[in-house]
Amino acid sequence: MKIALFSDIHANLPAFEAMLQDMDSQKPDAVYCLGDLVGYHIWPNEVIAEICKRGIATLKGNHDEKVESIITTLESLNEAGKKYAYHLINQANRDYLKALPAYIRLEYKLNNNSLNLVFAHGSTRSIDEYILVDTEEKYVLDLLEEADADLLFVGHSHKPYHRILQDAKGEFKHVINLGSVGKPKDGDIRGCYVILTINNDSSTLVKESIKVEFRRFEYDVELSAKAIENSPLPKEFADMLRGAY
Amino acid sequence: MKIALFSDIHANLPALEAFFKDVETRNTDAIYCLGDLVGYNTWPNEVIDEIRRRGIPTIAGNYDWGIGRSSDDCGCAYKTDDEKAMGKVSISYTNEIVKDAQRAYLRTLPAHIRLEYQLNHDKRNVLFVHGSPRKVNEYLFEDRDEKSMLRIMEQADADIMCFGHTHQPYHRVLNSGTDGNDHFRHAINIGSVGKPKDKDSRGGYVILTINPDSTVTDKDSIKVEFIRFEYDVEKAAKAVENSPLPNAYADMLRNG
Repeated sequence: MKIALFSDIHANLPAFEAMLQDMDSQKPDAVYCLGDLVGYHIWPNEVIAEICKRGIATLKGNHDEKVESIITTLESLNEAGKKYAYHLINQANRDYLKALPAYIRLEYKLNNNSLNLVFAHGSTRSIDEYILVDTEEKYVLDLLEEADADLLFVGHSHKPYHRILQDAKGEFKHVINLGSVGKPKDGDIRGCYVILTINNDSSTLVKESIKVEFRRFEYDVELSAKAIENSPLPKEFADMLRGAY
Repeated sequence: MKIALFSDIHANLPALEAFFKDVETRNTDAIYCLGDLVGYNTWPNEVIDEIRRRGIPTIAGNYDWGIGRSSDDCGCAYKTDDEKAMGKVSISYTNEIVKDAQRAYLRTLPAHIRLEYQLNHDKRNVLFVHGSPRKVNEYLFEDRDEKSMLRIMEQADADIMCFGHTHQPYHRVLNSGTDGNDHFRHAINIGSVGKPKDKDSRGGYVILTINPDSTVTDKDSIKVEFIRFEYDVEKAAKAVENSPLPNAYADMLRNG
């Protein structure tokens, strides 16, 4: 089966719409969102509405969590600065973000082997920990064991990778960073998400038995950047989209 | 957040379509399917296609497990020889009509899905299984001994456990707290979309609402709604009668 996984939309509606179009063409069997729906941009309510309309299983990112501490007044809505991205969010959507789960876990039993997929925003230890492509191998293996995870999917760093590690028993464990739909930071301005394929013979015993495809899609970056420049948000956020940093 | 949970469609396409129509009016935030897409009626492929098309996270039921592996055993606990004979017809008919791509989908469904919440510094796990956390075809009926039910939930580290399989919906609140500290656990059977067995011929499903300030010490911090919806029972029953399936399955739909 094909599973689509995406994260870090960061209220970038044009990017999100382009991703959905590409994703629909791939006909995934299930879809999961690994958090950070909001922050940095002007369309948080629109992004949340689309996720709810589609009933997409979603977990909480650090920016989604941050909204819980934001107090919005008429004055604060007119203040320039990065907090504008959170002040915009309506009360119903704040309640939605607050009640999101921290982790989602899929437990497979294929060919009498168990295979556990764990989805987290940052890491299984913390919502805002970065698990990077070069995070120390032993640290990552310990973390996987502690979380009882064979495949760990994370977002947060906006830098996509698929890393295969071998544990002490010789089993293959996978860490996949999904990249970012709406705010890539890997020098490629296109949005990014992942299609995972699980087959009958997917297991930790065979290195190549898990297929992970990174999909990059174009969207109207200029339109999106201009929308930031025409808002009280810092202009720098627009350049970050143009330069993917 | 409002989560819609449904299961036990059992190849009943008219019931599934009516379910989608109903759930779309209820403003839910997420939707999960707890298995048993196939068996006992004529539309297994169509039911699978509808659920896949919508990208709904789904776990395997015992019938999906059997068909996914082209097995002649659905793991169903038939009691009489008559039931066993009818069950044989149903699984061999389903194996015959399910196509390769749809079978491969059933074969690669996960067994469990778990949502781990961290609200108000309180850890809370919501576990979706088809039968029980121990076995895909274990029946957890409402009158199960409280100690046994709590043990199952504690072993699975589940605070809120949602399941199907019996086709008889209920919500039980159990307290596993010790020394006067409450720890409420919820066992929720979500009923059946396409083959209800509680004398109500309408399809059934659940909307689970988790409040942002929800805690394990507050018994009422989640809301469980049992929704019933009408569908064209006669159409589903006639389809059974016009197929090689035993006619008794049609009457079961008419009588719930």
